[in-house]
Amino acid sequence: MESRIAWKLFKRELLQGQLLLIILAITLAVLSVSGLAQVSERLQLAINGQASKFIAADRIINSPVPLDEKILVKADALGLRHVASMQFNSMAYSGDAFQLVTVRAVGDGYPLKGVIELSDGPTDKLPKADQIWYETRLGGILGYPKQLELGNANFSLSAEIARLPDAGFNPFASSPVVLMRLQDVPKTGVIQPGSRVSYIHQFAGEADQLKAFEAEVKPLLNNSQRWIDVQSGDSPIAGAVKRAERFLLLASLLGIALACAAIGIAAQRYCQRHFDVVAMLKTFGASSRQIRILFGLHLLLVTLAGIVLGLIGGFLLDTLISAYLPASISAYSPPLFRPIALGVATGLISAFMFSAYPLMRLLAIPPLRVLQRQLEGIQLGMWLHLVLSLSAMALLGYLYSQSLVLTLTVVAAVMLLGVLLSLFGFLLIRAGHSVGMKTTNPMQLALAGLRRRARQNAVQLVGFSSALVLLLTIIALRQDLLDEWHKQLPEQSPNYFLVNIAPEEQAPLEAYFNDNSVKATDIYPVIRGRLVAINGEQLISAEQAERGVDGRVGISRELNLTWRTSLPPNNELVSGHFNQKADEVSVESGVAERLGIGLGDELSYVIDNQPLTVKVASIRAVHWETMQPNFFMIFHPDALAPFAYTSMASFYLDDSKRPLVIELIKRFPTVSIIDVGAMVKQLRQIINQVSLSLTLVLVLVLLASSLVMIAQTEAGMATRQRELAVLRTFGASGWLLRMATALEFALLGLIAGLLAAIVAEFTIYLLKTQVFELVVYMHWNWWLLAPLAGAAIVALLGTWRCRQLLRKSCRQLLQG
Amino acid sequence: MLENSAIKVSDLYKSVTTQEGELTILNGINLDVKSGESVAILGPSGSGKSTLLGLLAALDSPTRGEIVLDGVTLNGLDEEGKAALRKQKVSFIFQSFMLVDTLNALENVMLPAELSGVNDAKQKAQQMLERVGLSHRLNHFPNQLSGGEQQRVAIARAFICEPKVLFADEPTGNLDGANSDRVADMLFELNRESDTTLVLVTHDLQLANRCQRRLNMQAGQLSEVVSASDNSGEQVMARSSAAEAS
Repeated sequence: MESRIAWKLFKRELLQGQLLLIILAITLAVLSVSGLAQVSERLQLAINGQASKFIAADRIINSPVPLDEKILVKADALGLRHVASMQFNSMAYSGDAFQLVTVRAVGDGYPLKGVIELSDGPTDKLPKADQIWYETRLGGILGYPKQLELGNANFSLSAEIARLPDAGFNPFASSPVVLMRLQDVPKTGVIQPGSRVSYIHQFAGEADQLKAFEAEVKPLLNNSQRWIDVQSGDSPIAGAVKRAERFLLLASLLGIALACAAIGIAAQRYCQRHFDVVAMLKTFGASSRQIRILFGLHLLLVTLAGIVLGLIGGFLLDTLISAYLPASISAYSPPLFRPIALGVATGLISAFMFSAYPLMRLLAIPPLRVLQRQLEGIQLGMWLHLVLSLSAMALLGYLYSQSLVLTLTVVAAVMLLGVLLSLFGFLLIRAGHSVGMKTTNPMQLALAGLRRRARQNAVQLVGFSSALVLLLTIIALRQDLLDEWHKQLPEQSPNYFLVNIAPEEQAPLEAYFNDNSVKATDIYPVIRGRLVAINGEQLISAEQAERGVDGRVGISRELNLTWRTSLPPNNELVSGHFNQKADEVSVESGVAERLGIGLGDELSYVIDNQPLTVKVASIRAVHWETMQPNFFMIFHPDALAPFAYTSMASFYLDDSKRPLVIELIKRFPTVSIIDVGAMVKQLRQIINQVSLSLTLVLVLVLLASSLVMIAQTEAGMATRQRELAVLRTFGASGWLLRMATALEFALLGLIAGLLAAIVAEFTIYLLKTQVFELVVYMHWNWWLLAPLAGAAIVALLGTWRCRQLLRKSCRQLLQG
Repeated sequence: MLENSAIKVSDLYKSVTTQEGELTILNGINLDVKSGESVAILGPSGSGKSTLLGLLAALDSPTRGEIVLDGVTLNGLDEEGKAALRKQKVSFIFQSFMLVDTLNALENVMLPAELSGVNDAKQKAQQMLERVGLSHRLNHFPNQLSGGEQQRVAIARAFICEPKVLFADEPTGNLDGANSDRVADMLFELNRESDTTLVLVTHDLQLANRCQRRLNMQAGQLSEVVSASDNSGEQVMARSSAAEAS
């Protein structure tokens, strides 16, 4: 019987639009969670898929010793595809000519992701046995030979490599790469005990397989073995993906928090609307059990409607987004289970936990309310409502993000925001205490209204301004991230690198660029040298440290050193001054931190077997993601003057001007050209995908905040009606009341906007410095725009919600 | 004569705590309403009429004293017990109608029957609406009905479960003259037909005069109005409840 009544009430209230707000709020929460989970998982898959091509796999283990067979057995057991390869340096001979080459010996199946680019286009084949594919510049150096000798074996050169998918971005790679089959390595005889070899194992598979593999295998690796994924920092997009992921997660959590707030407000209104119904039902003898069942079922129906609509919305959103994505990306389709399960859980948890307190109040309504209308039954502490709401938020946040720290941070921030805003709001409203109470002037009437409802207004302010704060935060962060990425990869960012430019070629090369109107970057001299001591303390290698040798660990390999007297673009001075004297060096901040180098430290190098000691004069931050030549150590020109050097530069060339490159190769045969155009294109695609997801999140946050604001204007409608009735009775004109109402809401919006600008600046400062590592600056225009926009939005929403009340006659108002 | 009593009240007190201290609303009420009798309670605003009605209808609990409703002593009942009692024996009509806005006339009338688990609630509700002359308004919502029609729906709802006692709080308070008469006619007609005990709180002397007994509430004390024909409201203390209590 109760179910029949519940269904009838639900059906009628639904058709009459009374459940619109609460259903919309639940729908939005479900849509945000399921839609975002679906879209971001699809984008994540796509981004990772794209990014995987940069490492030719999903995961890599790089080991200086052959990998334990157990690990490969695990990979097989989990169904992962894998391929083994070796990388080592060796001298390659062709007649009298010789050159140090980087040998990449690969097994069948390489590459697992991406393709090998040959000079005549991409290929899915590998060199045959006894054959070698070689990088173009090796041909130039050795005079385009037919045969190449590596150790004891002879190989025929069968194809020119333009790019290996996992070559990474290293314009300093001084030795050209050759590609051969793994099974040909033994016959060269170059691998001897103690040889420096990298054993590279690449793995590819589904996300859950990879996750399981990582969990099992990563702990088994020792310090010398490196676990590499697309985000390990080796690929140039790692930073972009990491930041985008953090942003998406944060924005989604904020979106969910906002949707939850909307549910909270709507639930309160939903319950208040049923106070009389409960009183009436109790009067007619309904037992507590009957009322519990009836409203439990009613709320369940409301929730289910919200969930179904939310899931459909989420699915449509994903379909819509997929339609805009290139086929290669929309082909990545993540499993639907998680988004659906998350959506359903979100709907149920948010609806019931946020409604718990209002529902408890509802069920406690005494039947006597039918005679004494002001009775509301027990007043449970607001703390219970807060605890329940925050737990719901935390639970949902955790379910979605799986990160306790991030969830707790967001919940704590929301809590802090609430406390701060209510305090500020209350004080601001109270500050207007001295204003008169004349009822002839709409402004005075509005101010009086604001003050009379100070407590309720403070609550409304929290709603309005938190919605605005979160909206402003997301807008600012999204813009900054996009700007950052576009700065990183501006239009016409270099797509070719030139290395090994001899000093005497520098001038003709610059002339060639000028003649053909090609804009090249600065030319950087490059000298290779080894850092051997810090403040006189000799450095040891990581391998030595692992073997138990005592000492300060340095960098095992040779470094590329350059000189300059001005800070390079995309570098920022962290401390000290940039090279002013011959014995000064500028060190990159990351390496300085790793090696424990500070300002004033003495660094000793060995360059061309000669010692050089300099003082650290500055620490620099470098944007490694930029496709520019970047350096760990930059010297004063005088310090490196005695040493032989080559130079490097980069430039942008439109595809239509490609013949210039061929001409350049012919004119400067010893200069090596690295084509990174394909990589730049892929990077752009990834950035576009990420931008899309950022926009999507922004739209959802915008929707959620609008809903919070709409829900918030609902509060206090009954009191407002009584006041309007009284004012009308005493002869206030319709115009006066409309103006006063609009002004009251506008003032509320103005204060909310101002508070939002202040709090948003602070929030953005924290997020930029603590999470996103972005440059901090003030958004002065917001200080004007946010209050104005707040006033306009809230005034519009408020008068729109009150329009029916304002249209009613005095008698209708009094009767209502 | 307890067997014949629909309501028996002895020495009833109700006080509430306010900011100014304790306020006594009902000050020693004694009352006996016979089964099938109609009783009007008159009195100025704030005299305690509605408080008494709430107590008699088992919606509230007294500070002291005893109420027996159709043979059941209310004092021993908890909230659930009172709800069950109301379901079985009591019904209401309110000044503000108290219809559920979102349900139509038929569904509003069905509501108490459905709560009581009556199987043919729909047919019964249809019959009741027919009896109050609203068979053509079954699917109308409260906001589509006039005040008089809304109160007639409320009357149909009040009688659907054939209550022993019907409490009415200013049933014509929100209605104009013609509607007021029509509603009153209907109320008394149904009351007579179903032999229901009627306790009615009103300011309307005309309405009160249609009841078999009239009681006056003044400063928390109840007194009987002697003559049914005396429309001037002249009262004689029949039984001083305060004196009887002392």
